Amino acid sequence: VAVVGASNAPEKYGYIILKNILDAGFAGSVYPVNPKAVEILGRPCTRSVGELPSGVDLAVIIIPAKAVPQAVADCGQRGIQAAIIISGGFAESGEEGAALQREVVEIARRFGVRVVGPNCQGVNNPHHGLCASWPLLTLKGDIAVISQSGTVGAALMDWASQEQLGCSSFVSMGNRSDVDESDLIDYFAQDSHTRAIAAYLEGVKDLVRFRAVATRCRKPIVILKSGRTLEGRRAAESHTRSLAGRDELYTALFRQLGIHRADTLEDLYDATKALAYLPRPRGRRVVTITSSGGSGILATDWAEWSGLTIAPLPGPVADSLRGILPPHCIVANPLDLTGDANAGLYRRVADATAPHFDYQVIIFGDPILQASEVVTPGSPQLVVFLGGADVERQERLRMHQKKVPVFPTPERGLRALARLYAFDEGAS
Amino acid sequence: VTAPSPAAPGRWLPEPEAYRLLATYDLPVIAHRLATSPDEAAATAQELGFPVALKIVSPDIIHKSEVGGVVLNVPTPSEAAAAYTAILNRLTPAASRLTIHGVLVARMAPPGTEVILGMLRDPQFGPAVMAGLGGVFVELYQDVAFRLPPLTPPEARAMLLGLKAAPLLTGYRGQPPRDLDALARCASGVARIAAEHPEIQEMDLNPVLAYERGCMIVDAKILVR
Repeated sequence: VAVVGASNAPEKYGYIILKNILDAGFAGSVYPVNPKAVEILGRPCTRSVGELPSGVDLAVIIIPAKAVPQAVADCGQRGIQAAIIISGGFAESGEEGAALQREVVEIARRFGVRVVGPNCQGVNNPHHGLCASWPLLTLKGDIAVISQSGTVGAALMDWASQEQLGCSSFVSMGNRSDVDESDLIDYFAQDSHTRAIAAYLEGVKDLVRFRAVATRCRKPIVILKSGRTLEGRRAAESHTRSLAGRDELYTALFRQLGIHRADTLEDLYDATKALAYLPRPRGRRVVTITSSGGSGILATDWAEWSGLTIAPLPGPVADSLRGILPPHCIVANPLDLTGDANAGLYRRVADATAPHFDYQVIIFGDPILQASEVVTPGSPQLVVFLGGADVERQERLRMHQKKVPVFPTPERGLRALARLYAFDEGAS
Repeated sequence: VTAPSPAAPGRWLPEPEAYRLLATYDLPVIAHRLATSPDEAAATAQELGFPVALKIVSPDIIHKSEVGGVVLNVPTPSEAAAAYTAILNRLTPAASRLTIHGVLVARMAPPGTEVILGMLRDPQFGPAVMAGLGGVFVELYQDVAFRLPPLTPPEARAMLLGLKAAPLLTGYRGQPPRDLDALARCASGVARIAAEHPEIQEMDLNPVLAYERGCMIVDAKILVR
């Protein structure tokens, strides 16, 4: 990897990105390129792209916009076929920048260089130890993040890392001069590290290709699409016209392609997390097991709103639970184990009910020690943990290390669970 | 009201032409005929059966009722003739500036659940089909659904069932359920028309009256470019 425009000034992206690539432990060679410096971060500097040794796969370009076309041409001539252009000052900045961007695209096409950006926050792929981006995040996970906004995507990856779930990749698309969401969905559909794709988009660049790649992608896709307000609507003669903002058409498009649409950034995160890590349900009958009566009722409300069935406990199951539970527990669904619940009791109740329901909603509503021992990775269990303070924080990380996703409230958990049922209706 | 909107370049098909197009796709259109004189209006009404509705037919008039261009529930031949004259009189003196093809005489459809079906062509997305329940549900709650063609009847059915007001179609408060399959075929037909007629920019079938058996289009606006 060459960092074109590497810098010794710690506040510059030319320094930050080089440092992140080194600190993330990239296994291949890393070449700072800067005509004036001798050495940056302990690495000898190359004066120009033309002087790089052969075999460089990727150039990360962080130089003034006007110099970018030449740098891309140099990359092409040196046989470097991929470039991430961090620099701004292109289409986002007006007509002059747009012309410069067209020039870059034209040069890149001529030399067969694929371009991410310009005006982007780079690419972070923990599975390849490549953090050509910021902030420095290195935890490997199963969620790929695609974003038209650097910050929005980085926030998602930051949350996933903080929670010990990690990401398979983060790509900040910037101005999408070449690589766009369709390329990336197609790529992550094939990527063995990715189980679900989260995207933040302001619009789809090429609808025809997007429809084609989304149709053949077998992995769940969740999209947060902004720009939903009505300013684009025309007052007109027909109802159809007055009711049809672009947003309704995006809703129709996503729905027909089986793409989950998120309403908020938090929803984007929760939905992708559920779709990446939870097994598909057999049916809608759920049982809630909790130590918190209030959480059980909240979960029941959200389950009902989501079209799930809080089915009564079958008679023999209820009888067997009476032998397990303390006498003051009411044997019903939700099953309130009350405040004296411990991991052992949770486990016995989970085992007794599992064969009779399609999904278990397990809500830890107290500092339940060893809660992570209750859950089984890959089984139909939605886990919510709240009110558990330090124990909760520790057990959540343990569960995430086992790839069992944990949600912070009954609402967020049940809404995420409902995503697994979203396209059941045969509505295509 | 009478000027073509600058926001919608193109022309609105006269209602008989719109109906003819819909009928070629087997969409159920209310029985109708164009009359060009009071006598013809009376005779046509007699033929179609009473009561009838009379509506002005002019490419320059989009909102017919706002210019007094619509008379509903006309019960006899003589009143049909009188309604014809009254409609044209109401347009004077503007009538001299307008193209007027005549007056559409249509059978009054029995009351049914009002559904709106529509289509619009977006420069980026291409055609999109819309469905909603008429009146307050569309206007106040914007309870509508969109789909991008192609749209099979089962998909159209799911689209209708996805409306918040769908219970009005499936049997609300002891009302008999409406013919969802007929509505779905209609919506699917709109998608086919959109696909096969790229010159059509917008369609508004409003209302489509839904019955226990079948449905009926009783007003149609189609914008062509």
